[in-house]
Amino acid sequence: MISESSSPAVIALSGLTLRRGTRTVLADLTLQVAAGEIYALLGGNGAGKSTTLSVLLGFLRPDGGTVTVAGTDPVTAPDAARRQIAFLPESVALYDQLSAYENIAYFMALTGHEPTRGAMDGALDAAGLQAEARTRRVGGYSKGMRQKVAIAMAVLRDVPVLLLDEPTSGLDPRATADFNALLGRLKARGTAILMVTHDLLGAADCADRIGFLAEGRIVDEVRPADGIDVLALHHRYGEAAAA
Amino acid sequence: MGPGVIGLWRHELRLFLRQPMALPLLLLVVLLSAGSVWAGLAEVAHQREVIARIQPQQAADVAAVAASAAADGDPGNAAYYTHHVTWDPPSDLAFIALGQRDVAPFVLRVRALALEGQINESETYNAELALPGRFDWAFVLTYLAPLFAIALLHDLVASEREAGRLALLGAMARSRRGLWARRALLRSGLLFAALTLPLIVGGLIANSGWALLGVIGLAAAYLAFWTLACLAAAWLRLGSVSAAAALAAVWLIVTLVLPGLALVAINAAIPVRQGVELTLAQREAVHGGWDKPKPATMAAFFRAEPAWRNTAPVRGGFHWKWYYAFQHLGDLSVAEPVRAYRAGLERRDALTRQVGYVLPPVGLQLALHRLARTDLQAQLAYQDRIRAYHAQLRRFYYGYLFTDRPFQAADFARAPRWPEPPPQP
Amino acid sequence: MKTVRLLAGNDWRLMARSRVAQLALLMLLALSIVAAVTAVAHRDDSNALRARFQQQADRAFDGQPARHPHRMVHYGHFVFRPLPALAGFDPGVDGFTGNTIFLEGHRQNSANFGDVRQSSLLARFGQLTPAFVLQALAPLVLIFVGFGLIANERERGTLRLLRVHGRSAAEVLGGKLLALGGIAAVLLTPALAALIWLVASARAEPLAAGLLALGYIGYLALWVLGIVIVSALVRSARGALIALLGLWTLTTILVPRIGPDIALRLEPQLTRLETDIAIQRDLQRLGDSHNPDDPHFAAFKARILAQYGVSRVEDLPLNYRGLVALEGERLTASLFDRYATAQFAQQRRQGTIATRLGLLSPAVAIRSLSMALAGTDLEGHRRFLQQAEAYRYGIVQRLNRLQAETVTYVDDGNRNRDPEAARRVRIDPRHWQEVPDFTYRPASLAERLAAAAPGAGILLVWLGLAAAAAVAAIRRLEETV
Repeated sequence: MISESSSPAVIALSGLTLRRGTRTVLADLTLQVAAGEIYALLGGNGAGKSTTLSVLLGFLRPDGGTVTVAGTDPVTAPDAARRQIAFLPESVALYDQLSAYENIAYFMALTGHEPTRGAMDGALDAAGLQAEARTRRVGGYSKGMRQKVAIAMAVLRDVPVLLLDEPTSGLDPRATADFNALLGRLKARGTAILMVTHDLLGAADCADRIGFLAEGRIVDEVRPADGIDVLALHHRYGEAAAA
Repeated sequence: MGPGVIGLWRHELRLFLRQPMALPLLLLVVLLSAGSVWAGLAEVAHQREVIARIQPQQAADVAAVAASAAADGDPGNAAYYTHHVTWDPPSDLAFIALGQRDVAPFVLRVRALALEGQINESETYNAELALPGRFDWAFVLTYLAPLFAIALLHDLVASEREAGRLALLGAMARSRRGLWARRALLRSGLLFAALTLPLIVGGLIANSGWALLGVIGLAAAYLAFWTLACLAAAWLRLGSVSAAAALAAVWLIVTLVLPGLALVAINAAIPVRQGVELTLAQREAVHGGWDKPKPATMAAFFRAEPAWRNTAPVRGGFHWKWYYAFQHLGDLSVAEPVRAYRAGLERRDALTRQVGYVLPPVGLQLALHRLARTDLQAQLAYQDRIRAYHAQLRRFYYGYLFTDRPFQAADFARAPRWPEPPPQP
Repeated sequence: MKTVRLLAGNDWRLMARSRVAQLALLMLLALSIVAAVTAVAHRDDSNALRARFQQQADRAFDGQPARHPHRMVHYGHFVFRPLPALAGFDPGVDGFTGNTIFLEGHRQNSANFGDVRQSSLLARFGQLTPAFVLQALAPLVLIFVGFGLIANERERGTLRLLRVHGRSAAEVLGGKLLALGGIAAVLLTPALAALIWLVASARAEPLAAGLLALGYIGYLALWVLGIVIVSALVRSARGALIALLGLWTLTTILVPRIGPDIALRLEPQLTRLETDIAIQRDLQRLGDSHNPDDPHFAAFKARILAQYGVSRVEDLPLNYRGLVALEGERLTASLFDRYATAQFAQQRRQGTIATRLGLLSPAVAIRSLSMALAGTDLEGHRRFLQQAEAYRYGIVQRLNRLQAETVTYVDDGNRNRDPEAARRVRIDPRHWQEVPDFTYRPASLAERLAAAAPGAGILLVWLGLAAAAAVAAIRRLEETV
């Protein structure tokens, strides 16, 4: 069932195993994401979604298996791997005492970049943050606005890999559509995008492939482009997804 | 295209200073540090002024003695009534750590009589004011700086975790270790600057010279210790509240509790009652001198001071030669308890130094007071200088007594002077 | 009330499960016990040692052989300041003052051999005594145990839950006060036991000990109130902890140090050396017994001769040298008194400035109250200095009178030339034995109570302010939850 993508993989997990105490969180997880591909990893709470992202970011050390991110190994060279990755966390927390521009400038400086005001505006335009809010301190922002700032940072990073953690959970339908359009542009730029989510409908809208994660392994994989029965899938995996 | 190292630090600085408590805390540190430096400088200036202002008073006192009690030219009277002033000027670094100079005399007058009854004289001071200790820079650094370091650094990582930014920061930073090191260094560095800038200004005013670098180095090492303690709390993944509580408890234990226990232990292990004992014994020895046969007393004295062996013998009921001889023999009779007393004090000091190797606040205080020359060692060194000066004085008067030379008005100015020049206030 | 007990009981259960609270409490209890045991032992040892030295000095004085009385004036005497019983609880300034004075004619020596000059710098870190533990450390432990009492409940949302279940804000606050007050009571027990022990074993006055206990109960009650109020008013537990630690540092560490500096700056004191010179200078002006032309002593001589109706001092029924010694000592002693009075007055002014600053810090107030009740404040040392000086003057004048009455003028003048005269001027040693021994009269209970009043007053003001703040906190709790 698990298919290989046609072009060479930018993200590659193979036989990934990770235990926490006696509990097995990831059990022989294998998946690959190619450049210009959007892969959605679907699963309920505790299925291992966030753990997978943590391994890719080099925050967690797996007990077995191999990981490759844009030619680097996050296990042995986490800093090098993270330099290839843009990451959008589930609930975006920024520095409340800084403005959107200042937050972006700060976080980009951490990655070693100093974007111009014009570049920041371009990214914020793409993320859809209204211009008049950009100089205000983000302490007064809504959850969606914060997320847009984080998306703008991901755009500015211009790296081969983008990891998304529940990206559309804070967005209204209109913003979700804008976000999906943005993902399309990044995909066209050749970015390998891995998102974890429990929102099957959202995933079906933008992903090239959807992997169903349960008990630490991928139990099913579908291509929305091939035409899928979302309702049936929802019934089959919905219980885990809704939990 | 990259922001470079400087740019990153600038960003961190802006981020830190935008925190609501950061700037007020740093300003408070500057204020406390400046206040303590000012208080120290004022106290040192006061001590210098005291030493300067006693000079004319002392000169008038000697002139009065020359004009009345010792006007008869008898060197015995001159030696008996003339007090000689000694002083221990504060060092150029004393303003940072005033130490024992508030409870131990820094000006003391001695006569050519038995010294042991004079050298342990105490200064007039208000004990209730001395009890809590002085507000000097050493206090600010030893006691308050760690609390500020804890306030600024206890939630270095915990605050990011609790705010939910940890994953994003971790994903963006080129090196996570570098990020925390940079932030810890920035915060402790700002604290260090806030503490030491007033110190440096004070050092320039007081002309402290290169020794100030030693003080600054100690401050850096001490702050590094507390920064590492805060990093340890982060490494243990303590929450911000637990970290603050745990670090404050560590502060309490190493700056108040363990030094208190160490003091109890050291004073119990090394009792120094010889001070009182030797004073009682010396008084018996000196006054016993009146009743001892004069030839025996003089023979014993000449064994100690052979230079005057072949001078005219003492005859009659009373002679100053004999009087000064048994005064000196009184001192010699307690030489052993004096040595034991001093050894006891030094032993206590040595044990405290060993405690200082383990407890950073104690070690810091000892080092600062050593650099400032305001510790027990400095006190004992002053006493040694007094002893040497007293020996000079005795021999000066012996020169008149034992050769039966009259002591004229002009001779008062010939008496040995305290070797150090009085400071200009 | 039942609700308040119920709420407090719940908090105690939580504390019993918290390792931080357990550790802090156990550590402080252990420390209190160590402090109480060592302080009581130290007081007993020091007092016994001083009593032994005093006996030795008394024996030496009484055991002097037949002598010229003036020899005894210079032989002098040693007196030692005994330690009050409650010094085992709060030694106060004892370690910072000398405890022995050498008394002799025409000189006023200093009290020497204070512990602080004989100890290393560690003495300046604070002495571990029951008083220090209660003044400085117990509030900190209460802060660690209590900063989150309300703030934590607010953060967890359980505070809202309690209010929804019909508990009034006053009941919540009351429960927390009772919970933390219970901890404070536990912290107090070793110190109270030490006080009871001192009453039983060293005959400390029960009233003074009881008031001392009451003072510390008031002081810790103030901290309990303050901690619960801050915990109720500050939004986060972390904020409450930082605010309380700041408050503690300010009141217990900083203000007590800044006060003395301000007092000394406003009232700089003369060094002992300057006082000595000034006394010498004034003495020269009053009358110089060495100067045959001195107007004061010339007038004195004329007055004495007229009084006895004779024209030569040799014809006086008393030894004129003794009379001059009496007059000389009277002059010097009057100067000593004048300078000592001025110095004590200045020290009192310094103390007043420091106590006024105590308004900023309950720790300064409780320290002053504690030392005053224990009899270990500066006033106690002053009493010792004054009584020692009175005793010195008494002995010296007694000996001078002996010289005037039992030694003839002629013998006195010839004692260095004529061995027979020298024998005759040595008077019977029973005279020394008749000199009464020095007994230190400690401050009466009434005097100590008066000395403790300012500290007690400041504490009461603070308690009043804290009670008002508690009412405000209840109102805030009712509005915000």
